[in-house]
Amino acid sequence: MGDFRFFRPTALEELLDFKAKEGSKARILDGGSNVLVYIKEGTIPGGTLVDVKFLEAIKGIEVREGRVEIGAGELIADIMESPVIKKEIPFLRDVLQKFANPLVRNMATLAGNIADSSPIGDTIPPLLVLEAQLVLASAKGQRVIPLEEFFTGPGKNVLEPEEVILKVQFPVPVQGSGGHIKLGLRKGTSCSVASVAVWIVAEKNSVEDIRIALGGVAPTPIRARKTESSFKAQSLDWDRISALSETVAEEISPITDVRGSAEYRRQVSVSLLAKAVRQALGMEE
Amino acid sequence: MDDLNLYDICITVNDREIKARVKAETSLLDFLRENNFMEVKRGCDKGDCGACTVIKDGRAILSCITLALQADGSKVYTVKSLGTWDKMHPLQQAFVDYEALQCGFCTPGMLMSAKVLLDANPKPTREEIREAISGNLCRCTGYQKIVDAIEAVARGEYR
Amino acid sequence: MKKEYSVVGTRIAGLDEKDKVLGNVVFADDFTLPGMLHGKVFRSTKASARIKRLDVSKAQAFPGVVCVLTAGDVPNNESVKNVVGQTTEVGLLEAKHQVLARERVRYWGEAIALIVAESLDIARDALKLIEVEYEELPAVFDPLEAMKPDAPKIHGNNNVIASWKLRKGEVEKGFAQADVVVENTYRTPRQEHAHIEPESGVAWVDDMGVINVRYAAQVIEHYRDIATVLGVPESRVRVIGTLIGGGFGGKEDVTVEVFLALMTWKTGRPVKLTFTREEMGYGRHKRHPYVLKYKTGATKEGKLVALEAQIVSDAGAYVYLSPWVLIYSTVHSTGPYLIPNVKVDANSVLTNNIMTSAFRGFGGMQVVVAYEAQMDDLAEKLGMDPLELRRKNYLKKGDVTASYQEITSEVWLEKCARAALDALGEKSKGGKTKKVGRGLACAWQSYGRMTYLHDTSNCWVNLEMDGSAVVRTGIPDLGGGQRESVRAIAAEVLGLNVEEIHVISTDSQVTPLSGTVTATRALYMSGNATKLAAENVKKIITDKAAEILSVAPEKLDLKDHTVYVVDDPKKRIPLVDAIKQCYFEGKIPQSLATFRAPFTEPISSDVIKDPVFPDFTFGAQAAEVEVDIETGEVKVLKWATAYDIGQAINVNRVEGQLEGGVAQGLGFGLMEDYLEVDGVPWTWNLHDYIIPTSKDVPDIKSIVLESGSGKGPFGAKGIGEPAISAAGPAAANAVKDAIGIRVTHLPITAERIFFALRQRGGG
Repeated sequence: MGDFRFFRPTALEELLDFKAKEGSKARILDGGSNVLVYIKEGTIPGGTLVDVKFLEAIKGIEVREGRVEIGAGELIADIMESPVIKKEIPFLRDVLQKFANPLVRNMATLAGNIADSSPIGDTIPPLLVLEAQLVLASAKGQRVIPLEEFFTGPGKNVLEPEEVILKVQFPVPVQGSGGHIKLGLRKGTSCSVASVAVWIVAEKNSVEDIRIALGGVAPTPIRARKTESSFKAQSLDWDRISALSETVAEEISPITDVRGSAEYRRQVSVSLLAKAVRQALGMEE
Repeated sequence: MDDLNLYDICITVNDREIKARVKAETSLLDFLRENNFMEVKRGCDKGDCGACTVIKDGRAILSCITLALQADGSKVYTVKSLGTWDKMHPLQQAFVDYEALQCGFCTPGMLMSAKVLLDANPKPTREEIREAISGNLCRCTGYQKIVDAIEAVARGEYR
Repeated sequence: MKKEYSVVGTRIAGLDEKDKVLGNVVFADDFTLPGMLHGKVFRSTKASARIKRLDVSKAQAFPGVVCVLTAGDVPNNESVKNVVGQTTEVGLLEAKHQVLARERVRYWGEAIALIVAESLDIARDALKLIEVEYEELPAVFDPLEAMKPDAPKIHGNNNVIASWKLRKGEVEKGFAQADVVVENTYRTPRQEHAHIEPESGVAWVDDMGVINVRYAAQVIEHYRDIATVLGVPESRVRVIGTLIGGGFGGKEDVTVEVFLALMTWKTGRPVKLTFTREEMGYGRHKRHPYVLKYKTGATKEGKLVALEAQIVSDAGAYVYLSPWVLIYSTVHSTGPYLIPNVKVDANSVLTNNIMTSAFRGFGGMQVVVAYEAQMDDLAEKLGMDPLELRRKNYLKKGDVTASYQEITSEVWLEKCARAALDALGEKSKGGKTKKVGRGLACAWQSYGRMTYLHDTSNCWVNLEMDGSAVVRTGIPDLGGGQRESVRAIAAEVLGLNVEEIHVISTDSQVTPLSGTVTATRALYMSGNATKLAAENVKKIITDKAAEILSVAPEKLDLKDHTVYVVDDPKKRIPLVDAIKQCYFEGKIPQSLATFRAPFTEPISSDVIKDPVFPDFTFGAQAAEVEVDIETGEVKVLKWATAYDIGQAINVNRVEGQLEGGVAQGLGFGLMEDYLEVDGVPWTWNLHDYIIPTSKDVPDIKSIVLESGSGKGPFGAKGIGEPAISAAGPAAANAVKDAIGIRVTHLPITAERIFFALRQRGGG
């Protein structure tokens, strides 16, 4: 077996000092759900496993200065139960309801899903359309970056070896509504074939603002900015939505893998986007 | 921290304190089975099947992808905490009466998910029941009688 | 008038269930012995190669490793039977199964060496130290390609290792009479059993020098194969079968037992071996993928006139049970329909894919996909209701099939089909993007092993002095309640409660051999054996009581611990008094009984023209699905399953089989596919190989019909395999009804539906 150590910091400074020394050899256990799988598969040969469950600094779900701030250590199950989330952004609750299954939701965190940086991380497209930011911390200080700038490739991100994710935050949406469609291979726990999230601000189905994000169709989760522009100022009905959604096929670069072919992903993304927009507008299916 | 990367932990399992010396990467499932809690099953060891489900600090979790160290100081319950031959838990009795099991291998984990569901939501709909056990795979029953049994307890058949 | 029983036909729970919910059962991996070692299997990562160099020295030298075994350490590595575990020769003699690969590997995952170490961690680490160099050899992965004369040969000089045919009437004349003809080629997936308990066991050499193997075994008779491989007498090997955490045929062929026996025999210490979930994927057999080319003709009145079919199964790299699976396919290929002209040619072909063998349905399942799709497509062409077309063609009791076997039990297909369709209730409403469809599928599946195998089953029942009973039976229990059925039968015959019957089972040296838990034979064979033995014991009691009461023995019955005169119940004696007298006179109330299935001659040619099975179970399933025409996703809304099972021994357990069969069958139809790409496994764990969860299976209505016409105890028919085979086809027909397109490549995934819709220009 590997050469592993364990560390459980009780304060943020302890964690950051440790990370400054150990860099990426120190792996934070979100709920542990991903890290232990990688250890068993042999892709992590050694290092220190860091349990952050006692860190107050990464707990908390609150609204501050017009932002919803979610601590990196908050379990998905707790985020779903949070009165703050239910009040400010029920859309997020609906999204998380589709995440894996109740057992995994009792163990996983948003930060863990983000740090894993899988192209199919289910929490990411919805957070992208909420224009989420990450608060990153190291012994040298903190920095805030847009979630959109976090991912650099499958499983890769801009996190420095000595950095940790402290918080996930996004502005409380003043207007608009969200839509989220996940395409899996079964109704129960399923890795996504592809997923689409939208946030749309519309007045009588005339688009004032729209944000579109997709997962599973590119090396990282992405915003579809060209398609967003083509939707702006459009008057939407069923057919118009379908027509406008076509352009998203050109903004993505899907691959073929065990879950589906590249061509399926390319073509079905158009349908998923149309569905997500209709869902956000409350149109009947 | 000790030498040879071994750590002393204490986990309360079924209200009994169990002390052990574990490696950093020892899973809670390994710890439980090495300490003779064989009722917690290993189906896949990667978190995909739910056979290893236990209740930790009030939540149903997958013990195979939880470190033993993460459960240090926690209260963990297995299916054996539910009942005994002479006094079974209503869920256990319902599972027997409704034949909500066949081979019985997924059953310990399934009962843990069911218990946590009813503790939080005493009158779930059938859809809510299916959602609550969606992380517990069963290959024998087709889930029908499992849902029937849990619903029967929720309905008050075993008061 | 249907007979009412006290225990049989009720929903009275068994005793094993209680142990299971309490977490008391010691499954195979739950068992430990002091000083136990741990085994690991080193496997090939090439699909077709010669082993140029194998160096286990570093692994052997690793601290904590006790030994490393290779082919040279196995006394009879190429076992004398083709198929380890079977009592009769199967297939070509050239296709020898090997315990450990000696010079050549033929599939990715083939076992090459065994490591035995003080701990599992050490064994795992030592695996990485084994060095192997391969010389890749030509390979073939498509069975149709593998049939061609210039294809690389897996064994010997012919990749076709089994061929069976049906010939009845003249198909050309038949098609000439047809007003409509439907032709399609169907493909069915390689399905993985995915039982939740991995293959596992512990072996040790006891103080009498007997090699004990305690493992999850569907076939405890594998002790003979262990003995053959080790070159020891059969009486020196004992198999103790555990309660199995799911089998479905996955624990039927040899899995861990031969490895375990070798490891304990070589080390002299107890050894445990448990497959990982991944190893269950790439190291253990699967269901045969099939290519089925069907041409069916019918008259405008809806009478089937001709069937011509070519069937090819992918046998994988070793023969295993492929020839037998193919017999099942061939015999069942017509469906439960009377067709006057039939020409079926079936072949099973070796490839460098993972070996394929037993899986619930055993070849009878793949053909349903073809014949039930053909029926619906014919009905559509005829403008006829799908049930109406079937009704005109169902087999009846007394009919002779295309394999020349007479149907000797009731065929209640129409009752089953109507019941299933009615149980769906009102049709769900679709929507703009969601199309709702309904599908019916009927099927037949044999129960009991092929009769030329001369199957028997033994059981020993005795009454204790206090009126309780012990049943000793070798039958393994894989969760279908095999032990509980035997208990219920004994309780019924002896007039006792189930709590008063102790069942001791599944030990090859202690319990009389009852045969395998395969081929839907357990209730039929071990149930009948138990009934026979219990009736013999009852006769000993009633004969004695008859003397005591001065009545004819035929007038007596047993109930509630008394022996009483049926027409005059006040005339009775306590059961224990009769038992005591029996013991006193040396007429012990015990019986070791043997039940024999019908014995027939081996199939005389490759054209099957002889009875092959004891009997068949008939049933139907109806499904309602909703297809999202924008994505191709299928949501299963409703399901009903209706089977004539002769007589239920326990209604809950029958329903359990029906419901489990629905789930496993709809997985086969809609989502399961063990993928190998150029022989390399892609879906070897439960993350990538997806089976239905509780959210994928709808509420199921189970309808249990009882004709009483089965050959099993109390007129029962078997249900284990029949329960599954119509499910996938029902879903397929429902999808066809929803979108108007026949998807012939299973599983019917969203992607396949999506492109079928795009191709048609729909959606």
